[in-house]
Parts: sequence; C-alpha cells; structure tokens
Amino acid sequence: MKKIIEISAVSHTFDDGYVGIKNISLSIFKGEFIIIAGKNGSGKTTFLRHLNGLLKPDSGCLTVNGCDVKTNLIQTRKTIGMVFQDADTQIVGDTVFDEVAFGLENLKFNRAKINEKVTSVLKNLNLFHLKDRAPFTLSGGEKRRLAIAGVLVMDPQVIVFDEPFSNLDYPGTIQVLATIIDLNRSDHTIIIATHDVETVIYDATRIIIMEEGLIKEDGAPADIVRLLESCGIKEPCSSKFGLGIQPWLT
Amino acid sequence: MAYLTPFTYRKGESMLHLLDVRCKFFIICLLSMSMLSAHFLACCFYGLILFFFFKNSGLKMLSTLNHIKYFILLLFFIFAARALIVKGDILFSFYGLSITGQGLKEGILVSFKFFLVMITGVVFSSTTKPSCVKNAVQWFLKPVPFIPEKRVAIMISMALSFIPVILNQAHDISDARKARCADLQKNPVKKIIRLVFPLLKKTFLSADNIVLAMESRCYSDDRTGPEFIPSGREIYFLAASVILSSGLAWL
Repeated sequence: MKKIIEISAVSHTFDDGYVGIKNISLSIFKGEFIIIAGKNGSGKTTFLRHLNGLLKPDSGCLTVNGCDVKTNLIQTRKTIGMVFQDADTQIVGDTVFDEVAFGLENLKFNRAKINEKVTSVLKNLNLFHLKDRAPFTLSGGEKRRLAIAGVLVMDPQVIVFDEPFSNLDYPGTIQVLATIIDLNRSDHTIIIATHDVETVIYDATRIIIMEEGLIKEDGAPADIVRLLESCGIKEPCSSKFGLGIQPWLT
Repeated sequence: MAYLTPFTYRKGESMLHLLDVRCKFFIICLLSMSMLSAHFLACCFYGLILFFFFKNSGLKMLSTLNHIKYFILLLFFIFAARALIVKGDILFSFYGLSITGQGLKEGILVSFKFFLVMITGVVFSSTTKPSCVKNAVQWFLKPVPFIPEKRVAIMISMALSFIPVILNQAHDISDARKARCADLQKNPVKKIIRLVFPLLKKTFLSADNIVLAMESRCYSDDRTGPEFIPSGREIYFLAASVILSSGLAWL
C-alpha cells in the first residue's frame, strides 16, 4: 500500500502549557480506515489538526505524500480534507450550493468547473435537491453530509472526521456512516476521531488509542477491541457478549 | 431545525428573485434615500407598489408583521415621541404633556416611512442570497482604492450567514434559562446580562471554529470572483426606480 502520511516524533504544547500530543510517530497508508479513539482530552482533535496543518508541531516532522506540511500547506489541505465536529460552525455558504463551492473558489477554479464539480458532488451525496436551501435549515445528518460535500469537492485523498456522529439522531448517524463507508470504498483514506467506536469499528482496518497525548495502542480492530475499556472507551456490545465485531449498519 | 425569519432568503422565481443583485442594491439605496423627503401620498403610492412586489415574492403579510412586532413597537414609540415633541395646535393635554395635530401627522409620516423602508429590506433580503449581496458589495467596492473588497465582501457574507445561527443560539440560551425559572427574574438588566454573556462566549467560540474551518479549505483573499446573471429586465427596473424616486423626492 502507498504511504500517504508520515508522522515522526510530533509533539505539540499549547500556549498555556497544556501538552496536546507527545512524541507521536506513525504512518498512514492509502485506503486505510482508521479510528482514533480516546477519552475526552486525550489529544485526538489536536492530532487531527496537525494532519491538516491547522496546528504546527513544536517538534518532529509531518509529511504528506513526501512533502513537509509546514512548507506545503495548500497542497496538504487539498490532499487531506477535514470535517469538523460542529457542522454549524464549519458551514460558511448561505446556500448548500455555495457552501460546497467555497473550497473550489479558494483554489481559484473557473466558474464553469466549479458548477460542474459541485453539481456532481451534490448528486453523489444525494444533496442536489437541497442545493438552494439555507444550510442552517437542514437536519443534523444533512448538515454533516453537506460538510463532507464541502471537503469532498476538493478531491482529497484522505478525509479526517472529528466526532462525526456527535449530536446526530439514529437516521442521521445511518446517513453519515453510509456516506463514510462509500467514501472508503471509493479509495479514500478515512480517519475518524471518536470516543464511541461501536458505530464504525466493523468497517475500520485499524484502531489507534490515544491517552494523555500519547499513542497507547495501534493495531487491527480484532486485536484491540478487548483493550478498549481499559483505556476508558466503551467496548462494542457484540464483542462484550462474545459475538466478535458485528456491523452496526445492517 | 432552525427557524426561518422574514429576512431569510427563500428560493423563488419571482421578478425580484431573478433581478441582478447590483440592480436591486442600487434601487434599494435610491428608494430609501428618496423616502426621506417624500410626502404621505407619495409614500402611499410607493407602499402599493411595494405591496405588489411583496406578494409577488411569495411573502406572507401576517407572518412578517408577527416577526417584526418589536420593530413595530419601536415605530409606536417614535410616533408617540413625535406626537409629543413637535410643536403646533394642541389637540389635547394630560399631565402637562400635549399632543399636537402637526405632531400626530409627522409621527404617522415618519413611522410609515420607517415601516416602508423595513418592508423594502424584508423584500430585498428574502429574494436575495447573502452571497449575492456579498458579490454586489465586492463589485461596488472594486473601484474604491485602499479597500480590500474581497475581504470586506466575505466578512459581510459571513455576518449575514451567521445572524440566523446567532439568533438560534440566543433562542436556545433563552429557553435553557426559562427551563430553570429565569422568568421569575424581573430585573431586565440582569435578564439581558445573563443572556448576553453566554451568547457572546458561544459566538466567539463559533468564530474561532469558523476560522479553522475556512483555513482548512484553503481560504485566501485571492479567490474566484463573483458571477452575476442578469435577467434582462434590469434596465426597465432601473428606469422605473429613477422615475419613482424622483416622484417620491419632489411630489
């Protein structure tokens, strides 16, 4: 598998002295579906923000497709799309169409190309019928899919999700999960930060458990699942009852 | 799901929906200025035209009046202040306060003008996407030196986009406070303080998040420019608005 992201001994301390992540080293390969699990404050979001260049490491090095993130910010952000936890504060456009077009306008695509790509992504994510709606009038699941569309239109290789199922009802969670699985099947590398692994563990190829800014475990879901509760993360019910890892989406 | 206000853009195919935003922007500025010196009959005439476009845009009068009820209350205060302050023939007095005929007339006229300007704004904002307003501002500011028009435009667009989000947050905070019997607090200053501080905190946090979200999608001032799609009727609307505003100003 082709290596996309290489992280070597990355640490980050915030201005107030709080240590976000400590000495993180790992490689991420094309097509992987990775869960970053951990309790609140374990450093998941800090770690994800380094991948997109939103935070810079105090020490260590982070490369995307062989290029240093620090010196190739635009290329990094084109390669790694980020979907934030709160869709309401990620959405800047005043209609669904404009929201998806935002990233392409930043990349200075011409208007015809923008219209073509936005239309295609909206159709793929089944949002085209909402294209003229104000984003804040959408349901939680639709907003989250809109946030995904806004990132997907920039053709990223990797899509990073920060708590993608928070504040979503059951239908909304199903919609978003199905979208994420489809993205992975269409060869996108998926990285999901969550403290609730049950929803996605069946589709994941790898779990990384973080604790106090450090990587505590890194391995295949089947190997890690029994260790989850010792790290403060709920073990999926099926695993607890000895049924192994079962799909959440039936 | 969020609440729609009369100021929220609604999709439509009305004449105003299809009109080029630059034309609408120019017309709204022209008419609002001409209203300053208009007489009552001229205002009534403008009101009729406005009512036609209001209905044509698919807006509901009762719902709109309900949403702007606090503004109507403000108009009532303006009317009362004018009626009491303007000197003239006293119609009746009470507790040393006198209401004059001229004051009543002027109060009605001023309140009516404000009301028409407000409804004009409602019609404009409900038929115009905030992104189009941004595009128009950018277009009008382009020839002005030393003003970063793209940055100003995106700031306007975001302010317009975030008004509903902030209003929803205010609504949520207010509901959360009511759920804990905040209605028992009668002091209006304390009530406002307890609403404003959490709202400001939430708004600043949202602003931080939006900056990160924009950065993560490669935001820069050097972006694809706006696209304008004229309907072909702009010239007629411009001519009519110039004639109408002349009439409002001089009749």
